[in-house]
Amino acid sequence: MRGVAFKSAVDDHVLDELRAIIGDDARVRPDQSSRAFRSRVPAPFPVHRWADHFPDVVILPKTAVEVSEVVKLANRHRIPIVPRAGGTGLSDGAVPLRGGIMIDCKLMNQIHEIDLVDRTVTVGPGINMLKLNEELRKYGVIYPDDPASYPCSLVGGRIGTGGWSLLGARYGHTRDLVISMEVVLPTGEIVEISEGGGRKLRKSSTGLTLKQLFTGHQGTLGITTQATLELVPRPETEFAAFFAFDDYMKAYETVGVLTRCGLATLAGVVLFDEWKIAYLRRDDEAYIPQPESVKAVVAVAMYGRRLEVEPASREIMRLGRSRGGRYLGDEISAGDWASRHDRYATPLHGRDLDGQAVIMSWHCEDAALNYSVLPQVREEWHAIVARYRERYGIFDDWGMFAYTSGPHKPWADYLVEIDVGIWEQKLDDETWAAWVSCKREIAEVSLRYGGSITACHGATREGDAELVPQELGSAWPVVKAIKRALDPNNVMNPGKQSLDEAYE
Amino acid sequence: MGDQELEFAQRWRDNAYGCFSSGHKFCREVCPVMQVTRNENHTPTAFHASIVAMEKGLVNVEDVADDFVHCTQCGACELRCPNTLMTGDFYRHRTRTVDVVKAMRALMVETGNEREAWKLWNERLALDHNEPVLGDTRVSQAHVADWAIGLDIPVGGETILFVDCEAAFFRTSYTRAFAQLLQKAGFAFGLMREQWCCGGPAAEMGYQDLALKHATHNVEDWRAVGAKRIIAPDPHDYIAFTEDYPKYFGEDYEFEIVLGVELVNDLVKDGRIALTHPVERTVTYHDPCRLNKRKGVHEAPRELIRAIPGLTFKDVDRVTQWSYCSGGGGGLPIEKPEITREISRRRVAKAAELEVDTLISACPWSERPLSEAGHEANLGVMDLFELVAVSAGIEP
Repeated sequence: MRGVAFKSAVDDHVLDELRAIIGDDARVRPDQSSRAFRSRVPAPFPVHRWADHFPDVVILPKTAVEVSEVVKLANRHRIPIVPRAGGTGLSDGAVPLRGGIMIDCKLMNQIHEIDLVDRTVTVGPGINMLKLNEELRKYGVIYPDDPASYPCSLVGGRIGTGGWSLLGARYGHTRDLVISMEVVLPTGEIVEISEGGGRKLRKSSTGLTLKQLFTGHQGTLGITTQATLELVPRPETEFAAFFAFDDYMKAYETVGVLTRCGLATLAGVVLFDEWKIAYLRRDDEAYIPQPESVKAVVAVAMYGRRLEVEPASREIMRLGRSRGGRYLGDEISAGDWASRHDRYATPLHGRDLDGQAVIMSWHCEDAALNYSVLPQVREEWHAIVARYRERYGIFDDWGMFAYTSGPHKPWADYLVEIDVGIWEQKLDDETWAAWVSCKREIAEVSLRYGGSITACHGATREGDAELVPQELGSAWPVVKAIKRALDPNNVMNPGKQSLDEAYE
Repeated sequence: MGDQELEFAQRWRDNAYGCFSSGHKFCREVCPVMQVTRNENHTPTAFHASIVAMEKGLVNVEDVADDFVHCTQCGACELRCPNTLMTGDFYRHRTRTVDVVKAMRALMVETGNEREAWKLWNERLALDHNEPVLGDTRVSQAHVADWAIGLDIPVGGETILFVDCEAAFFRTSYTRAFAQLLQKAGFAFGLMREQWCCGGPAAEMGYQDLALKHATHNVEDWRAVGAKRIIAPDPHDYIAFTEDYPKYFGEDYEFEIVLGVELVNDLVKDGRIALTHPVERTVTYHDPCRLNKRKGVHEAPRELIRAIPGLTFKDVDRVTQWSYCSGGGGGLPIEKPEITREISRRRVAKAAELEVDTLISACPWSERPLSEAGHEANLGVMDLFELVAVSAGIEP
């Protein structure tokens, strides 16, 4: 362990102190099952080394003061703290690397205030977007954060991981939708983080802007205990169109055309490559079969007022067909778009080298890349996965997709993702090391093409965390200085993002 | 870890991996228990993960026993699982959570990790052959058909009306309403000679031998009177007869099982029951889990409600109702009554948002907790059959 000394475990004395803070033994849980179930996220996981990731104790706080007191205790005793919201993150943000105290915020799921005049909602970090919107819909507004994990991920995790929204091109992503927040710092102070001073201000130029610092830090800089979020009018209508292509490059060009169209209601444009189509064709019975000639699909979606979306949809139809795209029909377009959340978790099975269907975990390696480099990166990524698949037989290539990720600037950078099936049951030390290596090679390609290791899932765990200093380059010392200043004892989610280097 | 645990983990592990390897937890926000406790131990994903953990020797049955109490077996998690939603059972990897919970509870009983309140409950069942739904007041064979006094229902025949436990001893107004509706339609049916509990709840709590004993008794009683078809007004009985009993008796299980709400709906549609008395109420409908979520029955009750004159029906779509439950199933109210109370309170609060005066259910087990919550919220809770009986002009 570099740079810091930790207490080896949470002992009985610490447990007593925790119980005194919380005052409810049911919310201080050192039992085996509480620890086991909070030691993983959907990211591929070395199941054979599961116990290495157990927290020592799980705390279920209800208030910021409870969180603060627990963090102060941890800081005093040099015990690692790991915050956890939904535990649906696709990197290891909510997974303890060194045990310690896990702060699970799911009981902090209240709606504190709905302000229909200044258009904000203030919530606890444990609330889920779908549940929040069920409450908001009666007021004709929504919180438009829409990750693939929309039915189950929580606001706190969205902030901690800097999540990406499927409707981001229209409404922005978590970073754009959080107006301000209350954060417990690694030393236990409770602070208000916002633009300037006002809790409901979207733009200020007073002092330094701290808000982005506390978005996407993967639990390394603090714990959000309350957040004030953006409200937008509930869209009156949505329009989705899927276009099939016989050639990837035509589909790619169409994406460029669509994203540069300048229509404000454009919510997202997605490009599925032929590996993805092939995967859906062979392994997803629910997918509506496409002819063999289909090599790529472009999906486009618009949200807004009917009077805007309906005329704009005609232009979208024209543009979608302008490079040889074939409209896949209303049923596929509306149906596949409507199932965009469910489809994200569909592939629970892949093919081994013999072509047999086996239970594989889905994992996606993502990057933020400019439009110009998508075709080259795609080829290199597939080649990497093919090599590992061929050698180990427990990986499968489930194809790639690219998605507009620039809020209000959909032509800009793209979230690009390659989906890899991993037969977790078969993992051992050798194949786990192989996976980490595969992951690193994928990330290295992203950097080589001027991209970022990740657009939304976080460079948190081994495989890409070690490349964070390289990506941040000359800014890395600044990051380290910030981490050291805010978290002098490295108690906040230690071991993540190579931030231990701050203490060397 | 004992051999039983290892054998159990190996039996269920592939099913569990289907969930574990996904881990996306879409089930979580529809789970009625999780909505209340917000404790990740109580999620369906945790149930599956615990089997994987058990196989790895990381937890044993004692570690997870309390977690597995936290389930009403409503089945919402299975429906909301993306695997089920999108791929059906193509790879035979459908996530089966209700079965897993039942199996784990059986393992808890086998390994001496049973829960105290469930143990006492099932000891009383073993003694009286009906569940102790009247608390300290004993139930008995001598009184199992008291609800039918004055209705002149014969014993035996080709069609048997099955009425046990909650419906036979506690919510008897519902049972009388149902029987009188059949009589009004001229539909011939009889009662059992000796009626025991269906055994379904015992199986849900892990008492498999007891469940089988009761099932065997009932099937023998049906055969003894030459029964060919069994009417189950209670959705819990319907589940037991259509899911548990076929597993117990295999191909030797020859009975046609008729769901009460579908039968009454058919009789109304056929004009054999005339609904002539308007009921001036504004209502919404609570889909009982074992009808909508477990069996996909959601049309018949709605058709029936719409057939009642005078009602203003403010419906909530059946998919939204996946996240609703009364909390009354799966033995939860016996071990964790405070959670059942909160689940019901929330369900009634959702109904109250629709500005209705009555919440209609179609399940006797849901009606006790819902009625209690309704009483506190000043919202009426009625059974569908009672409402239909009123509209049919039946005097209770």
